[in-house]
Amino acid sequence: MALAHRRAVDVREATVEELVIAAQGGQRAAFGALYERFHRVVHALALARVAACDAGDVVQDVFTDAWHKLPRLREPAAFPGWIVAIARRRAIDAARRRPPLAPSADLAIDPPPRLEAAAALRAIRALPDTYRETLIMRLVEGLSGPEIAAHTGMSPDSVRVHLHRGMKLLRERLGEGGER
Amino acid sequence: MTDPLYDKTGGDPELAALEAALGDYAHRAPLREPPPRRVRRPARVIAAVLGGALTVLVVVVLGRRGEPGCQGDGAGFAFAVDGAPARCAGSPAARGTLPVGAWLETTGAATADVRIADIGHLTVFGDSRVRLVDTGAAGHRLELARGRIAARVTAPPRLFVVDTPVASAVDLGCAYELAVEPDGRTRLRVTSGAVSLEARGRAAYAPMDTEVLAAPGRGPGTPVALTASAELRDAVARFDAGDRTAVAAIVVAAGPGDTATLWNLLAQTDREDRAAVFARLDALTPLPADISADAVRAGDPDAIARWRDALVDRWMCVGCFGKSKR
Repeated sequence: MALAHRRAVDVREATVEELVIAAQGGQRAAFGALYERFHRVVHALALARVAACDAGDVVQDVFTDAWHKLPRLREPAAFPGWIVAIARRRAIDAARRRPPLAPSADLAIDPPPRLEAAAALRAIRALPDTYRETLIMRLVEGLSGPEIAAHTGMSPDSVRVHLHRGMKLLRERLGEGGER
Repeated sequence: MTDPLYDKTGGDPELAALEAALGDYAHRAPLREPPPRRVRRPARVIAAVLGGALTVLVVVVLGRRGEPGCQGDGAGFAFAVDGAPARCAGSPAARGTLPVGAWLETTGAATADVRIADIGHLTVFGDSRVRLVDTGAAGHRLELARGRIAARVTAPPRLFVVDTPVASAVDLGCAYELAVEPDGRTRLRVTSGAVSLEARGRAAYAPMDTEVLAAPGRGPGTPVALTASAELRDAVARFDAGDRTAVAAIVVAAGPGDTATLWNLLAQTDREDRAAVFARLDALTPLPADISADAVRAGDPDAIARWRDALVDRWMCVGCFGKSKR
């Protein structure tokens, strides 16, 4: 283990734990691989709280923060829950610094989204925290339920329940004609 | 049994349509190169390093008359340079921390990624010169002496300001490009959100997809849409150069995509011209019922500002109200 962090890992085949150990030792390629695996989850947590044009910056801030703090993460296997916690905290801080979300705030991205996408995102944001985060991971970032579970530390059953309950609420609200 | 929502098996047309639309927001950006890690050293090593550093500092201070260095972890903006060497506080630097008071200078092929405290990022393009004027809880201020930068900021309005030789760009939103041109003019192009370009007691409000020039001795001009016609641009250039008769040509040339130009003119025209501008803007996007037309025609700053607040949604909406989709 002592030399593990000095050995270059195959970032395509490595487990999250192996990537974390390598990144703790300073391997930027390993950290890049962690980014590839987790950036969509982090973005979903940000998008649940801040405007689309700001969510990308929250992602970069989270990973910059993670790069500096990673050597102090004692249990590499805890990385998914750890990065999710950093992301949630950063997103909440960013939301506090910004004025309340205006409908136009989600249109100011490049390339611009469809208007129905902005309306659907607003409807998701109006759901309780647990449902909106999982739904954004699934519907915006395209992660499957098992992937969401693996990347957040939630149990597969919890993810399934959150997705179905959240989707039921979302369909009701979109069906009311207010958002689509 | 299939569960398209959980494991993406089977088909659900309604779900697929929702995924297709919301996929517009999916994150695709690559990782920005993180800055070097801050190294934690034992106290004895720190003491030895500090002792040595103190000696070096005395030499450097005497030799450079107080110019700050760029390798410390102190207050400043972290940066990393790509493509070609850059100079920070007069010394070659590929990465480091730009301290208050120091200049960062890029050569032709270089770009520098600068972290604006915890509120955003700045790209400094080639042949540019920027200085960190101040950074703190009250705000962050840079000076762009020459060249071009692109800024993306997540912060309350007016927390991030960039000074150029002829104006100050005050961040009100998300992203913009700012250039100091060889003839001394400042060009601001807003790509997202809004920016206020200010100088000589005047402010130009430039929303997304507009650009505005500030010229030496004149302060900020009038923002025009990136899609504005040549006729409108020509008329605005004449107006900004002092030709008040150009207002009539602006009013004639202005279309649905030029409401930001018209709105800015409300505060820059006298009563008669303002009435013509008001009539055109009101025809393109009617004044909300709760704002007094007489107050706007009279140049009341509060009424004009309230109309802008009502127009912001229109300015930020790409693909509607005649604005072209990029």
